[in-house]
Amino acid sequence: MVNQHRLAQLTGLMRERGWDHLILYGHAWRKDHFRCLVNVSFSGTHAAAIVSRSGDVRCIVTDPWDAEAVNGTVVDDFAKGLKAAVSGSVAIAGMELMEARFVHAVGSPVSATLDVEELRRIKSADEIAKLQRACELADRGYQYFAQVIAPGMAEYELVAEVEGFLKSSGAEDNFMLIASGGTEVTGMKPPTERRFKLGDSVTTELTPQVDGYYAQICRTLVLGEPNPKQREAFGIFAEAQKAAEDFLKPGVNIADVARVQNDVFRKYGYGEYTGPKYTRVRGHNLGLHPDENPYVLEDVNYVVKKDMVIIAHPNTYLPLSGYMVFGDTLLVTADGCTCLNTTERKLFRK
Amino acid sequence: MKRGWITWDKSELPPEAFGSRLAIARNALAAQNLPALVVYSDLWKSNHGRFFSNFMPYFNRGLLVIPREEKPVLLCGLSPRVYPWIKSVTILEEILPSPNLPQRLLQVCSEKAWKKIGVFDLDQLPFDLYTPICAGVECVDVPSRSIRPAPDKWELAMYRRAADMVRKSLDEEMPAGVGLVDHEFVGRLERKFRLAGAEDLVILVTNGQAPPAPAKGAKLTAEFSVSVALEYRGHWVKSIRNAAGIASDSSAVAFGEDLSGPYPFDANKTGPIFVSHAEVRDHGRRVFFGDTYLNAQNGIEAL
Repeated sequence: MVNQHRLAQLTGLMRERGWDHLILYGHAWRKDHFRCLVNVSFSGTHAAAIVSRSGDVRCIVTDPWDAEAVNGTVVDDFAKGLKAAVSGSVAIAGMELMEARFVHAVGSPVSATLDVEELRRIKSADEIAKLQRACELADRGYQYFAQVIAPGMAEYELVAEVEGFLKSSGAEDNFMLIASGGTEVTGMKPPTERRFKLGDSVTTELTPQVDGYYAQICRTLVLGEPNPKQREAFGIFAEAQKAAEDFLKPGVNIADVARVQNDVFRKYGYGEYTGPKYTRVRGHNLGLHPDENPYVLEDVNYVVKKDMVIIAHPNTYLPLSGYMVFGDTLLVTADGCTCLNTTERKLFRK
Repeated sequence: MKRGWITWDKSELPPEAFGSRLAIARNALAAQNLPALVVYSDLWKSNHGRFFSNFMPYFNRGLLVIPREEKPVLLCGLSPRVYPWIKSVTILEEILPSPNLPQRLLQVCSEKAWKKIGVFDLDQLPFDLYTPICAGVECVDVPSRSIRPAPDKWELAMYRRAADMVRKSLDEEMPAGVGLVDHEFVGRLERKFRLAGAEDLVILVTNGQAPPAPAKGAKLTAEFSVSVALEYRGHWVKSIRNAAGIASDSSAVAFGEDLSGPYPFDANKTGPIFVSHAEVRDHGRRVFFGDTYLNAQNGIEAL
């Protein structure tokens, strides 16, 4: 249950930093720091894996069901449980999202979040295998999405069908957003009661989780024959995504991975649509959380390393088509990157 | 995660419900001579913000600011591109883009000349917000229980609807579960509940060797149990059923969970809406059952 490779990394980090105890904290939204060492999807309110400098690991949880799953101790009062479990110099991964009362109970801990996130970015062979399985499921999920969508169906009904398919196929979780319509659509959101119509551009990002790890795919589908502007827009997105994929390799800066995508939009006169008014990020890291740092943005300074797994997605609003999405999960290799998705790279239509 | 249908049906939850709820908060502010109440909201801790505004963050975080004399304002980590959607499903008319939530809150406090504010469950704020906010303005803890001691009639109606949805669907689906791979059974439930309007779901299963847990690819046996926690328009309920049909047993070991707070509930506590669930040993297997209850003034009622 305990990831021994990660434990060795963490104890090395603790020696380097002089920490006596390291707490890997998780709650219902962000389980990733806990799961990077103890890969169990706990169902209770809080969980912490506590590592001592000698490498002992102890889990405390708030739900009796979780105590058995993680071979840990259930505590009625999580703050007291944390306080009793640590001494000396204490660091916490996930401290920023931890309730203030828990941090205060520990005393004056330091944040280990950035250090642990950096360790997590470089994936082991086992982690890459899990991400490949998640990508396969993302591909199958999108096939299903494209198969079942039909005019007259509500957005939330389509999402229910896709969620049912992904869970039936072994997904532990899935992060999914959707949008439908024309040039009035400025971004994706949770599904609404809106019913699909011929001519709609339907965007989605599917992010199934397999054995803890999330992979993502972004595609756009047009109901009926795409119009010339939708085709023109897709051409720009496909070129931008390819620019990122051609550029991505160890040693490049993540800012430039964003820049090469944005440059394609600039080349076609749509540079203003690469800013925060119309888009969020040009991609992001993937792993135990569906939206990890570093974000692919021109103002983020981070040097890409081998065995990182990143999605490059130049998703944005364009006046040609409304909001459009296109992206694949990429594994950084020794001299470039390889795409883990196999879904056809096209503007889908039905 | 929140990926179901997030909407505002005004026949189910009329605008006056929010007027009534905000009035309670404002009375509490007046009693403590506070100019505003701040309510934290994220993907997990969404219920309090939902209660006052119907705002449900599907991702990211926000702070709902309820001034004593003015309309509520949302300080929002999400992009302004989705504000039209947020406004369509909430009472909110003003949303301020807030990539840095503490900074934006302190700016609002400064503009309004607020020297002191109330914060819902202050010490439960995430640490990265707590520290800068408390450094910039005097914060007074306002316990959520003091404002929301019991569900109002609109909440109660939705709890009842959610509980009914779970109970009936499980009655329909349990007989077909034996022999299915757990993933397939969970997928069937997921589809059914999301089509019925579930916003979020947590489905756990077991064949009786251990407590319910996420599906692992096992074939379900005649001893299987399933736990379904479902969120319907901000209201969580939970039911646990078993294929053996056991619904009570004098040897059962019982647990309680408070459903009044954010998912996934506070174990071993019982608030006004709570789950009572139990485990019994049946021929060496562990069998689970439970339901959602209302702890009302006139006694306990199964929802």
